[in-house]
Amino acid sequence: MSTVYNPKMTRRESLKRMGSMTSVVMIGGIAVACEAPEPEATAVDASSHWPDLDFAAISENGYGTDPSMISPTAPWPRTLSAAQLDQVAVLSDIICPRDERGPSATEVGVPDVIDEWVSAPYSSQHRDRVQILNGLQWLDEEAGRRFGSPFVAASDAQQIEIIEDIAYRDRRDIPEFEHAVQFFARLRRLVFGGYFTSPEGVADIGYIGNVPIAGDYPGPTDEAMAHLNQVIADLDM
Amino acid sequence: MASFEGFEYDVLIVGSGAGGGMSAHILTEAGIRVLLLEAGRDYDPVTETPMFQQNHEAPLRGVSTSDKNFGYFDATVDGGWQVPGEPYTEADGTRFMWWRARMLGGRTNHFGRLVPRFTPEDFNMADRDGLGENWPIDYDEVAPWYDRTEKLIGVSGTNPGLEDTPASADGVLQPPPKPRVYELLLKAVTDKMGIPAVPMRRAVITQDLDDRKACFYATGCGRGCSIGAAFQTTTSLLPWAQKTGNMKLVTDAMVKEVHVDENGRASGVTFVNRLTNEDIRVDADRVILAASACETARLMLNSKSALHPNGLANSSGQVGRNLMDSLGADIGGFIPALRGRPKYNEDGYSSNHLYIPWWDNAGQKDGTLDFTRGYHFEVGGGFSSPGMGVASRVDGYGKRAKDEVRDLYGTGINLALRGEMVQSDNCYCEIDEDVKDKWGIPVLKFHWQWSEQELNQVAHGLEWGKKIIEAMGGIVNNPDATPEQAIKAGGQIIHEVGTTRMGDNPATSVVNQWGQCWDVDNLYVMDGGVFTSNPHKNCTLTILTLAMRNATHLAEQMTAGETA
Repeated sequence: MSTVYNPKMTRRESLKRMGSMTSVVMIGGIAVACEAPEPEATAVDASSHWPDLDFAAISENGYGTDPSMISPTAPWPRTLSAAQLDQVAVLSDIICPRDERGPSATEVGVPDVIDEWVSAPYSSQHRDRVQILNGLQWLDEEAGRRFGSPFVAASDAQQIEIIEDIAYRDRRDIPEFEHAVQFFARLRRLVFGGYFTSPEGVADIGYIGNVPIAGDYPGPTDEAMAHLNQVIADLDM
Repeated sequence: MASFEGFEYDVLIVGSGAGGGMSAHILTEAGIRVLLLEAGRDYDPVTETPMFQQNHEAPLRGVSTSDKNFGYFDATVDGGWQVPGEPYTEADGTRFMWWRARMLGGRTNHFGRLVPRFTPEDFNMADRDGLGENWPIDYDEVAPWYDRTEKLIGVSGTNPGLEDTPASADGVLQPPPKPRVYELLLKAVTDKMGIPAVPMRRAVITQDLDDRKACFYATGCGRGCSIGAAFQTTTSLLPWAQKTGNMKLVTDAMVKEVHVDENGRASGVTFVNRLTNEDIRVDADRVILAASACETARLMLNSKSALHPNGLANSSGQVGRNLMDSLGADIGGFIPALRGRPKYNEDGYSSNHLYIPWWDNAGQKDGTLDFTRGYHFEVGGGFSSPGMGVASRVDGYGKRAKDEVRDLYGTGINLALRGEMVQSDNCYCEIDEDVKDKWGIPVLKFHWQWSEQELNQVAHGLEWGKKIIEAMGGIVNNPDATPEQAIKAGGQIIHEVGTTRMGDNPATSVVNQWGQCWDVDNLYVMDGGVFTSNPHKNCTLTILTLAMRNATHLAEQMTAGETA
């Protein structure tokens, strides 16, 4: 596969590029770094399919118990295929689109964060790896079942139709979506976590700490105090 | 006089954390020569502390992993709940977690710097409830040493005049930082409820002190502090001791055994050089153990000889017994009224500016409450540096979800209960004869069981924590959590003490009030092992204070020629 996820792509550009490489995505499928079967979308039982693929734990070294604090690096190789990375990119921007207050998830490299995450040799990241890779596969199976194409090749409206089915916690009660809802909730946490920890996301959310203050800590601003006093006044005490 | 590599010394100290660091400082200032052995590697907070590094610069955005249990930038080196190659075991049914660090300065490099004092009553709680033992010393004896310790390490806070917050002498404390919005909201609510919320005492300086700089209110204290504002032995006691020329420091020296002479007195130690894996035996005229409560007990239990068949200085059988931690439980939630509140720099000095001390001694004395020891709440919240959990409350996707994350930022509140457990015969550590660490040293096996006292206390904390958060207009995360679900594991609060407790009676205690072993008069314990009880006040200040007092006593005796 010749294309790789480019963290500076906008979702629109990303989608456009996805469209042009659909056949590649189909052939590459989801079977990466594991013995996953080829997606057989049309053969899946529509009512309760969940790939439930088993993935071996990553056996690479972690950063160890005495890593550099000053020049941190993640030593393990990334494992998402280009197709998976593109799928994560599309999902990242569905979850966290550009708006008037900040860029999109892909613009700040969130798929790279998720690639590093699911490739990490730690147990909680491994649990996420299993959930997320199964979820990506499920999305392709579901898109195949509904639209005859993998998820990224589906239209915006088709993608959203599936996402609407799995994006809300109360959908967990629908047996057919139970696993997919959990997958999406996990992915959402990772995407927003990746976005709001990026320098752009930190600025977006309004964190203005981590700067040295000379003299005494100034405490809340007048505006913050005025708001607090109103909150206290409104309390029913 | 013993010597090692050409350096002659009077006292050998094992451990460079709070107890060992303070002992080294006091002794070297008195002109006494010290060989200090530290199991971990050398560590320089000036060059190694990740000041200002942000989450995005760390692997996995800095989250906790099995390599770095408190997150990537936590100061702990080669440690955490497990140390590679150095296991411990738990008895059936026991949940115990043992945090260790293998670095110069030990756990002082990352601790919370919360330094409340014990109260007068804390030294005599057995008089109240008949549980455990009274200390062999009282508050009046310790108070001047608290003052000296606080002044030396640098403590900010106030004297609010409450039963649970005994006052420091005038001029000891530095001013605390102003409280933040969520703390002020809490205080508005607790004032109405008749519960105090007062400045936490912290070993973080707000004004310059000797060569240490005042806090500049950025970067978390758990990373360590390169400017020395947050107290740790590696920016204070240890460099001061070095500067006297009276100390030789050996790192990567894991002590495995204390030797005795034909009279049963300490004559030296054997340590493993962790870099070369070779055993090195050194002599000593006097030995101070300050390896941490459990590590010191392990060392003593592993030092068996004809005259000490149950382990060194263990004729009482109390070494390793009476292990205590603080109780821990979290009551968390979020405050909808704080949605979208005005932004400002809310870092402060990263931990509590206000906390809730124990407020209902009266209810315990008159029998209204069904537990006899107190607790406090540490308060968390605020506009902290965003982490990977920033969207944990958010549902859906897209612009609306993104706005929801922004809106909920800074609305969280957490009350961390830290309580006093009662000494129990069911909580102890012993040597597991079947398991050795990678140096061939037999490891510790832990036994742990909470009693009704602790579960009742947590039930009370859950109820009142819920009341407080709800009075703030908040939504509690797990309102139906039971005490059994909420209580943390033994050891998890990292306040383990009591394994070599002090007392008046050699039959029921390991050391006397000076930290001197009853059975071995040239062997001293200067870490948290000497605690007779474990009041809910975070233990480090009292470890430092007792080490200062007892090392001063030792120095005076040595100077006067009263010890061998």
